[in-house]
Amino acid sequence: MQPVYFLPKENFPAFLEALKGLGSVYAPVKVSKQSYSFKAVEKASEIAFEALRTILPPKKFFYPPSETLISYDDGRILEYQEEPEFKVIFGVHPCDLAGLGIMDTIFEDGPADSHYVRRRRMSMLVGLSCMPDKHCFCQSMGTDCPEKGYDIFLTDIEDGYFLQSQSTMGGAFLDGSGMTGILERAREAHKDRYKEFWIRRKDAFSIGFAPDNLRATMDMEWDNPVWEELGNRCLSCGNCTPVCPTCYCFDLVDVASLSGDSGERRREWDSCQFTGFAQVAGDFNFRPGPVDRLKFWYRHKLHGFDDAYGFKTCVGCGRCTVSCPSGIDDIVAVVNILQSSKKAENKSDAT
Amino acid sequence: MQPENIALKTPYLPVKGTIRSIQPMAADNYLFDITESTGSLASCKPGQFVELWVPGVGECPISVCSGRVGESIQLMVRRAGRVTSALFQLEEGDWVGLRGPYGQGFPMHEFKGRNLCMVAGGLGVAPIRSVWQYALDHREDFGKLILIYGMRHTTDILFRQELKFLLRRRDIDIFIGAEEVMGPELPPIAAQLGRVTDMLRLADISPDYCVAVCGPPVMYKYVIEGLKKKGVPDAQIWLSLERHMKCGIGKCGHCFIGGKFNCKAGPVFALPEIKHAPEAIECANGEY
Repeated sequence: MQPVYFLPKENFPAFLEALKGLGSVYAPVKVSKQSYSFKAVEKASEIAFEALRTILPPKKFFYPPSETLISYDDGRILEYQEEPEFKVIFGVHPCDLAGLGIMDTIFEDGPADSHYVRRRRMSMLVGLSCMPDKHCFCQSMGTDCPEKGYDIFLTDIEDGYFLQSQSTMGGAFLDGSGMTGILERAREAHKDRYKEFWIRRKDAFSIGFAPDNLRATMDMEWDNPVWEELGNRCLSCGNCTPVCPTCYCFDLVDVASLSGDSGERRREWDSCQFTGFAQVAGDFNFRPGPVDRLKFWYRHKLHGFDDAYGFKTCVGCGRCTVSCPSGIDDIVAVVNILQSSKKAENKSDAT
Repeated sequence: MQPENIALKTPYLPVKGTIRSIQPMAADNYLFDITESTGSLASCKPGQFVELWVPGVGECPISVCSGRVGESIQLMVRRAGRVTSALFQLEEGDWVGLRGPYGQGFPMHEFKGRNLCMVAGGLGVAPIRSVWQYALDHREDFGKLILIYGMRHTTDILFRQELKFLLRRRDIDIFIGAEEVMGPELPPIAAQLGRVTDMLRLADISPDYCVAVCGPPVMYKYVIEGLKKKGVPDAQIWLSLERHMKCGIGKCGHCFIGGKFNCKAGPVFALPEIKHAPEAIECANGEY
């Protein structure tokens, strides 16, 4: 295995300086009383180490809300590829690492989306351990213990961080001469505290469900009355989708100059919760109502990619739950309803 | 920059096509013949689609409607939305963008050596035309051929001249019907009133037929029922599903059906693949 290191907390500023040597460093920053956002940081004091979920997940660095894909000018069609600058994203929690892994799969799947992949390749992900709050359910989705998807991962073991690397780039950084005097080789005591942390964390989740039969449950409960109940409260605002670490849907739009001779073709984040998302020519809409759309979203998150890619697209970060103005994106509560037995109803059917 | 990035090209770059001819076929239905010099569309198979781009307006997915794509590609377009309305303003010699071909077309290799029934409803005749053209170009590879083409009004008929010619052939059975007579009559031999399902009943379809279906979303349930009555097994029924494929390459999410991207896994599916997928052949609003 790759060597593991210990970073004493007093050495963190020096560690950050070394990361800044690679490129701009982005980390969670407190932006209001209760919200955090990934922003460029200069000093360690700017970083909100306590942040759990940022408003937007780190997908925004590789898949911006709006970007130009191609342009045209006077009858010529031109490729539009910006040269991405190297970015270090610091403080990515396990759920968001899993989310980026899913985004990678979708955008790398051939034909690869060069715009995403180029930016992603010019990046380093530095993960950070966290303790779950009342909305976290990554454990249920199996995304709570990062085994891949990061370059370097920091586990908080009180007086310092336990550092693991996974990629060649992460390994080279930790093993490199730049870390002399900043990192120590992890000793047995550090390893013990590392192990203790993850056991303690495992027991810290307050909500969850058994994911084992989720696939069958989502299929069986397609007509469950809960969808009507929740969907009728849905405002179709689409809040749940930009905040989701794995929502990748976009619209393609043309932005023409006034003369019409030149312009750009852009992509913008779209949401399956918007009325026209599944509409085809002739105004036929495959998901005309909020019930259809909400149900689709839940199914896509909890079952959608089982066939195409072999994974679910919910990572259990809880962002949709906290950002839904109608309080209907409580995935844990809904799954618990779907999984609950209907014995009582069956009995009354029989009598 | 890492060297591997150099090779990565944007998949959203269209090739430039020039409109060679525009042929009105019915009200709001024009056949566009577009030349393209790079040859990137020459591999088009029946049932595949391209993203047609009107610069400054947008792209829309259009089925390829000819079985022979050479130096030009034929697209039958209905004026139905923003992009197609803009396309109808263009003239011969104007340029457009084309991306593709995308998706899995009809499995012509699987149809070979077998009897083939083609069922088209309305504008669904466009992709089905690529199937019959391919089958007739390789006539000796196929068994019996049946074409069923239904439309709402008699005036909606597309490819009238070509169908008149086809009706003279003895190696393909053709049923053309409209729900209502309006304006000029249909080509005489096949002219009849009725729906696609009525013609399905009349056609001599045995359980060994493969069936290629394309039509409006509301048509599928009835066609499938009709074919069931004829004893055609699900695995021999292939349906082209309509969705708004915006990117064409399995990224944008607009065409998602059940667990699959229609643009990549479809638009043509064998019935067993999508039979139980929610929203695939049933419509959310219960309209058929």
